[in-house]
Amino acid sequence: MKFKILSALILLTFSFSNTGNAQTADEIIDKHIKAIGGAEKLSALKSVILEAKVNAQGMEIPMTMTTVQNKGWRMDISLMGMNGWMVMRPDSGWVFMPFQGQTKPEAMPQDAIKEGLSQLDIQGVLLDYKKKGHEVSYLGLDDVEGTECHKLKLTTKEGTVNYFLIDPASSLIVKTINKRKAGGQEMEVESLLSNYKDVDGYMMAHTITSQMGPLEIVKITINPEIPASKFMMSE
Amino acid sequence: MYTRISICILLISISISSFAQSKINSSTFGAIEPRALGPGTMSGRITAIEGVESDGKTLYIGTAGGGIWKTTNAGASFTPIFDKHCQSIGALAIDQKNPKTIYAGTGESNMRNSVSIGWGMYKSSDEGSNWIKIGLDSTEHISKIIIDPSNANILYVAAPGPLWSDSPHRGLYKSMDAGKTWEKILYINPRTGVADIAIDPRNPNIVFATSWEFRRTPYSFESGGKGSALYKSSDAGKTWKKINKGLPSGDFGRIALTLAPSSPDNMLAIVEAKNTGLYISSDAGESWKEQSATFNVVSRPFYFSTLVIDPIDPKRVYRPALNFSYSDDGGYSFTDASSDGGWVHSDHHALWINPKNTNYLVLGTDGGVYISNDRGATFMFCHNLPVGQFYHVAVDTKSPYNIYGGLQDNGSWVGPSARPGGISNGDWKLLYFGDGFWTVPDPSDPEVVYAEYQGGNMARIDFTNFKNWSIQPLQTTKEEKLRWNWNTPIITGQKNKKNLYVGAQYLFKSTDQGRNWMRISPDLTTNNKNKQKQEDSGGLSADNTSAENHCTIFTASESPLDENIIWVGTDDGNIQLTLDAGKTWTNHSAAYTKLGIPPQTWISSIEASKFDKMTAYFTLDNHAYGDHLTYLIKTTDGGQSFSRIQSPDFTGFAHKIVEDRINKNLLFLGTETGLFCSIDGGNNWFRMKFGFPEYALVRDIQIHPTENALIIGTHGRGIYVYDDISAFRSMSDELANQSAYFFPVKERILSDGKYGGGGPYSGGWNAPNPESIAPFQYYLKDRLLSGDAKLEVFDQDGKLVQTIPANKRKGINKVYWNLRMKPPKVAESGTKLDFGGFTAPQVLPGQYKLKLTVGTQVMEQEIQLKHQDEKNYNLEDRKLQHEVSMKYYRMHEDLARTVEGINQEIKQYTEANTKLKKKKNKDILDQYIKELETLRGELVASKHKSVFADEKKLREEITEAYGSVVSGNQRPSNLMIERADLLRTKVDQAATDLKNYKNTKSVKSSAALKSEKIVLDIKS
Repeated sequence: MKFKILSALILLTFSFSNTGNAQTADEIIDKHIKAIGGAEKLSALKSVILEAKVNAQGMEIPMTMTTVQNKGWRMDISLMGMNGWMVMRPDSGWVFMPFQGQTKPEAMPQDAIKEGLSQLDIQGVLLDYKKKGHEVSYLGLDDVEGTECHKLKLTTKEGTVNYFLIDPASSLIVKTINKRKAGGQEMEVESLLSNYKDVDGYMMAHTITSQMGPLEIVKITINPEIPASKFMMSE
Repeated sequence: MYTRISICILLISISISSFAQSKINSSTFGAIEPRALGPGTMSGRITAIEGVESDGKTLYIGTAGGGIWKTTNAGASFTPIFDKHCQSIGALAIDQKNPKTIYAGTGESNMRNSVSIGWGMYKSSDEGSNWIKIGLDSTEHISKIIIDPSNANILYVAAPGPLWSDSPHRGLYKSMDAGKTWEKILYINPRTGVADIAIDPRNPNIVFATSWEFRRTPYSFESGGKGSALYKSSDAGKTWKKINKGLPSGDFGRIALTLAPSSPDNMLAIVEAKNTGLYISSDAGESWKEQSATFNVVSRPFYFSTLVIDPIDPKRVYRPALNFSYSDDGGYSFTDASSDGGWVHSDHHALWINPKNTNYLVLGTDGGVYISNDRGATFMFCHNLPVGQFYHVAVDTKSPYNIYGGLQDNGSWVGPSARPGGISNGDWKLLYFGDGFWTVPDPSDPEVVYAEYQGGNMARIDFTNFKNWSIQPLQTTKEEKLRWNWNTPIITGQKNKKNLYVGAQYLFKSTDQGRNWMRISPDLTTNNKNKQKQEDSGGLSADNTSAENHCTIFTASESPLDENIIWVGTDDGNIQLTLDAGKTWTNHSAAYTKLGIPPQTWISSIEASKFDKMTAYFTLDNHAYGDHLTYLIKTTDGGQSFSRIQSPDFTGFAHKIVEDRINKNLLFLGTETGLFCSIDGGNNWFRMKFGFPEYALVRDIQIHPTENALIIGTHGRGIYVYDDISAFRSMSDELANQSAYFFPVKERILSDGKYGGGGPYSGGWNAPNPESIAPFQYYLKDRLLSGDAKLEVFDQDGKLVQTIPANKRKGINKVYWNLRMKPPKVAESGTKLDFGGFTAPQVLPGQYKLKLTVGTQVMEQEIQLKHQDEKNYNLEDRKLQHEVSMKYYRMHEDLARTVEGINQEIKQYTEANTKLKKKKNKDILDQYIKELETLRGELVASKHKSVFADEKKLREEITEAYGSVVSGNQRPSNLMIERADLLRTKVDQAATDLKNYKNTKSVKSSAALKSEKIVLDIKS
């Protein structure tokens, strides 16, 4: 269960990046890429810091997510003077969530890291997906809470399945569904994306809503310098 | 002070899209989704089970009316994966070499009277997450799918075909391209389909098929005829030969067939014939020999068609039928399963054996899924599959109200609509047994319920002890033999709640709870004697369980405006009306046939209008003549004429129509494939989606007489409840075309919710309660992709009380405010969370402003929050509770400031200490820091990180008292009040201590710093 929540948290915070009116997957993806900044601009995205908060009946819990393209991801949560974090790199991952009594960092299961790998791609897995070894198929229109969206299925080169539901009018992603099997527990993590805003030329969702509620992103820093030590377990 | 304005809606901007007309449909109502009550106690008919052999824990469960459910943990939990498609499943198949590929044949083939139809074949390439239709659309019923073990592109599909009519769309189909195209490779005649198939795993060119001639009418069933036979092909279905050697002479009915996977020359067949028997072949089906068989092995062959041989042991044979039998000697002798693991529901239709662990069996019955870990000797029930098949539902007016209903093969039950902790399986109680149908509380007596089992066997039940007394009317010298429908109507008066009506071919009325009856009609049916030969029904095997009883009354409705006006509908097409409480009757069936509706069409429900005596709505069902159209008609002149209500959205034959009790233009229609709504008196309709399976078999619909709830009885997905349909009552084109709309709420009673309780989920189906504190609702014409949405609450002084993130979906959205303030900021510990930081006092009664921001639009309204006296809790108590709560609240915030001050002091001196060079000075600072830490240690728990090490310091002491005062509406106790003084003293002392530390104890440290010319980095 712990790693279910963990996977959900990772996915939740990664769904921000990634729109169409066309009938083929590539046409839909092209429009989407243009809508969120264009291929050139996305390729220039090397790192990002998201400062966010979740609201628990009036109590705001701040979170920061730091990612360096395909190198590492870190999330920090601060609550009543307690600090929790998760770190994931392509080869390892660690979790320290002291809020319910965890006293030392614990290793992330390897299969969770494998499934999380594509999420280290902050340029979005849809960008140059063929070059990256992923496969995409178009599943037709599907209804997201009353809005008909294009549904794309992306299978990463590692075999992980992600679905993207893209609003035909804006070509922005409305919903992602990520299939996960880490730890032998199968689940589909759903995230709704909204509150899109232009950040230095990138259209980015500033609200990501999962079964656990909305995560509101208050600040996005594009391409900050981030030392490699940020993704070390000891920090 | 805000002036009191009942509605204040400010639309700052109107988006361009708002000029486009918005068609009202299910998405208009957005987040108004129903609760799925299940339950899982009485599950429903399971028709197909397949498991993924490579993991042994992923199972796909096909059901008679609940779609497909998937478990990835061997049954610990299930998820529905077919909610946007046909809910009747006939067969499933998994490509075991690529288990991402699943095939589903829709339309079950257990051809009982209540069987639903399918729409053909479906395929998923992603483990059931997404499905596409791949043909065979007109087969209506599919019994088996086999994937060629040597080539997964080759599929065989057995289609018995339509039950109620001739059809060329039956037979054995084959696909060579994984379902892209199909060829019919075995076809007998329009009355004969293919029921079973088997393939030789050693040589997949050898294929067996059994053909089956069968037919139902509304009043008969026939299984068997010249078309039924056993066939064998040695060239993968190109040519076929009939096998007769050793099989009985005469006509066959349904044949169940299987071969031993580990020794495929060994085969078994149950052949329905004049003398149905079990037959064994040891030469790959070329010749057969009859074997003595138990009653269970040969029982009811049209309904029990499952026969399985263990994947490894060719001698181990399983026969799931009326009960579960198994053999260890290849079928020569059988033993029945034990009930040591609990009763296993009778009537079995599906069995999966894990080939890699043949102890593990998954059995599908009329009452759900059972798992065996000992090769079928004992079974455990899966309590978490809510696929109950309700025929009818009803409600009472208790608080919380109860829901009653009768289910296919699962009796009559009652369960609460809400309960502390939520509604679990154990909250449902069995009222009556058999097949359950009308289960009706007496509206004039809260202690009485009426229920029945098939064929009109009805009883009055004492709700307090569930004792029952038969009340079924009996034939006297003045009547013909009484004919009771399988699903006999038991109706209570809508105008006169003491009236109780039941219908045979005559309508009977009781005014004393069924103790005595008056027959108030002549035979109201066509009384066609040709349709009353049920004793001859069944075909080769006699099968007369009252399911084919005909020329009976099926529904009735007393006018809510006049008890003398009673409508009656019969299963053979009569719509009868009395205006004088049954003295005289008029048959109005000829009037509806003028609309082109066939004359014998089953009248499935009648809704006498609540607004006009001469208005009534009717659903008609002609599927038993092979006609699946949706028939909905209305009269406004007491049946003199009818008009047909149609919609391009309608699918499935119609079961139930209801008219709202408040808005006469609000109608709900239930059909075999969906729930439909009209808000304009039937001119336009839409399918209800979102949280409700789109093609559910909707058998019954009730609108609660006092609450705003809509209760749906489905035949395969249990019960669904929309707790508040107010928005359906108030929705209009004008409203729907606004870009955004904040539904006005003038006042709310301050509440801490209706129920407590809850706890760890202990398995089974658990349904949530209705929303404990009603949310605020707003409408968005389109989904908001750019811009934020939030609700801000301000008190009458304009002070912000709460900010709550709001949703952005198309249609109606809900935003939840718990009627409380923001929680206090509590002292930081660094090692433990404190509950006090998550808890807030409820706000006081008064005027509040709700400011809803959606993108660029701001909508405001004022709301009056009111106190309502509760037991031992009046307004004065509430005020005192708030006052005391706030004392503790402020203590938390004051203490948080003090602790923050200490932390700041520690931080400054710790940083400065690193700059000091002299040990003596460093020791002075170390000592001061230690003293500060000691002070903090008395204020917050900071010693242990473990949650198992309790540590009560001042923060925890405040939370202990604060939590007691704040949670729940109650007057604070004397000690809660008095304790505040003690803790306040401690909080103030802590602040004083810090001040003293800074003023006195820091002097030495300051001097030490000064001596080395170090300046404190003071930030606070």
